[in-house]
Amino acid sequence: MKKKNWFTFAAVAIALTTTLAGCGSGNSPSNESTPPSSASPSASDTAAASPSEGASPAGKTFENPELDVAVFQGGYGREFWDSAAEAFMQDYPGTKINITASPKIGELIRPKIVAGNPPDFMYISGSDNTPLVNGLIKDKALLDLTEVFEELTPEGAPLKDKILDGVLNSRATSPYDDGKVYLAPYNFGVMGLWYNKALFEAKGITPPKTWDDFFAANAAAKENGRALLTYQGIYPGYLEEMIVPAIYAAGGQEALKQFFDYDPEFWKSDTFKQVWGLMEKIATEDNALMTGTVALNHTQSQTAFLQGKAMFIPNGSWFEDEMKDAPREDGFSFGYLGVPSFGADKPVSALTNVETVVIPAKAKNPELAKEFLKYLYTDKIVQLNGDKAKAVMAVKGAPDLVKAYITETTYNVYKAADDGMIAVNGAFKPVAKGSKFNPSDEVYKPFSSIMSKQMTLDQYAEKLYKVYSEIQKELEAAGAQ
Amino acid sequence: MKTMTMKTKRTFFILVCLLPGLLLFSLFKVYPTFQIFQKSLYLWTGLSDEPKYIGFKNFADMLHDETFLLSMRNTGFLMLVVPIVTIMIALVNASILTQSKLKERGFYRTVFFFPSILSFVVIAILWSFIYHPTMGFVNTGLEMVGLEEWAKPWLGDQRTVLWALAITLIWQAAGYYMVMYMAGIDSISPELYEAADLDGATRIQQFFRITIPMLWEIIRVTIIFSINGVLSISFIIVSIMTGGGPDRHSEVVMTYLYAQAFTNSNFGYAMAIGVVVFMISMLLALVSNKLTERGSY
Repeated sequence: MKKKNWFTFAAVAIALTTTLAGCGSGNSPSNESTPPSSASPSASDTAAASPSEGASPAGKTFENPELDVAVFQGGYGREFWDSAAEAFMQDYPGTKINITASPKIGELIRPKIVAGNPPDFMYISGSDNTPLVNGLIKDKALLDLTEVFEELTPEGAPLKDKILDGVLNSRATSPYDDGKVYLAPYNFGVMGLWYNKALFEAKGITPPKTWDDFFAANAAAKENGRALLTYQGIYPGYLEEMIVPAIYAAGGQEALKQFFDYDPEFWKSDTFKQVWGLMEKIATEDNALMTGTVALNHTQSQTAFLQGKAMFIPNGSWFEDEMKDAPREDGFSFGYLGVPSFGADKPVSALTNVETVVIPAKAKNPELAKEFLKYLYTDKIVQLNGDKAKAVMAVKGAPDLVKAYITETTYNVYKAADDGMIAVNGAFKPVAKGSKFNPSDEVYKPFSSIMSKQMTLDQYAEKLYKVYSEIQKELEAAGAQ
Repeated sequence: MKTMTMKTKRTFFILVCLLPGLLLFSLFKVYPTFQIFQKSLYLWTGLSDEPKYIGFKNFADMLHDETFLLSMRNTGFLMLVVPIVTIMIALVNASILTQSKLKERGFYRTVFFFPSILSFVVIAILWSFIYHPTMGFVNTGLEMVGLEEWAKPWLGDQRTVLWALAITLIWQAAGYYMVMYMAGIDSISPELYEAADLDGATRIQQFFRITIPMLWEIIRVTIIFSINGVLSISFIIVSIMTGGGPDRHSEVVMTYLYAQAFTNSNFGYAMAIGVVVFMISMLLALVSNKLTERGSY
């Protein structure tokens, strides 16, 4: 018997350790490449001793000419980064950029970061990877980039003037609310509701401007044999694309601040009742929510939308590209509408987001990393980004700079956001280190229950009131330490 | 004297042979396990190189963490339902296939075993389409036989989601255990069944009086395998099929551990959860071993 118990123990121990070990390992092979360098690195050795003139357009030389760059290889690919690095090495002879790219870049560089040896420059995106950046924010392990944006560009204005308004003081780039920039803006995205433009034109339906119009469109939806709305069911986080602009429309910046800064009173406010009331209406009204939505993943629900099972769906400017191979109803064409307002005299709005690039505080070569960062905002590179990544950077006039490379739909989405639509952005304040709460999960996950009518708004508000109070308490405790 | 040296030599030789294996085992299994215990006492994002020691706070926090408790309940449900049903189905199938001398025996054996060679990811995707609310096999099937009011978004309803996941887990594992039991039954001496036949025992009596007792040792091991299997496989199945939804009603302890470690950057806390899971699964294994000891049924 004893022997057997030992065997069980060992079996359990092995099974468990393998399970846990599985969480951390499973690295996909790194595909590291070194684009050909035009200049030999030895040139920099002499440069370090006696700064040579005219080596680069900026007249700068670098003690350490090597830069390690880690980038996410997702929908935008890696080609942009390879060509940007090549262009940089040509303009700054003697420098050498090593690029590591992977869809699982977070997993790949995590061990390096833990070992205190992070890459010099990182572009981390994709839901699998962004938690890594959030961890670095919690650890305060990012380099302060404020001065980079104060520096003058060759045109004579500070770099910050080139960035889209409202981006540099948003929480996406300045997470600690201290006016300092720790995350540099890169690609810019616009989110909101989408519809089938071809259908609307053929049937003479006008895209709704207000929430009343939106619910009135239910009749037209029924006529055309579809539900009013579907969303990415098992990932209710997508609903923020409707909810955040609606909070702003209903309660202004004040309400948005309450919501993102964990003021528990938000859950007793009229703004809450108004905005979440819309969601409840979607849950309860006949034909409003597509049957089975709550059980679908993002691909399944988006395909259902393309096939004409629902009239609207929330999603971002990447939508067309993401679903380019999916089946759709005849003549389907993408139409973007933003998020309806609460009154005919008020403009529609849209949620915007900014992808970011960061330099870790422990980077070995922060000087060159900063130079590379500044280089990214030149018109040449903004255009290159449009050409290779089909993306639009958070730089003024970027949509027009890259118009030739992006689809008409995408261009129109960006233009819509430019012309009169209110751009709303915001992010949750970082929670205290060690907190068990993930605010976005706490707020959005219960929507599954609300949509299946298994939770009332009162129960929801009560729960969130408690969660927000606790997050506040944790923040205070952390601040006191 | 001579035999002693032979014996020492022998022992020495065995030790040398064991050494590389032991070293690798310690490095890749024992050391990480030890690390889990150590890191569970720290406040650590899993990124910085300066974890902060906080004693048993992580463990104390767990008791107030509603999501953790819910995920424990969900895991407990799966650990209870899945092994029992899987083993029952596997036993019955194994017994039928070995006893009935069906011609298609080999074919069924292959078909039932098939899920075991599919990757868990494939199984999860397959079943998320079987449960698809509008075009899924389950709901369209119900519609076809005129029971459309029974159709539900199985994975989107908090009352059905765990059962739906349990069925997937059972489907995945039953064939595997069935093959194990079939091998066991084949090694039971046919005379026992013949004698029982002569004494007029029915098939059902034979199943309970001969098959199960003769397989008991195999069943005991498979119970423990199955409990641990649920723990690790549920992670993949849940991540792909429901993402822990709706509203965390299918969150299992492994998905929650992963989320705390890698989405919430709460590595120390995640390790503390790992320690608790470790303890519990060990306890379960010991308890089930004790309960199924020969003579106690």
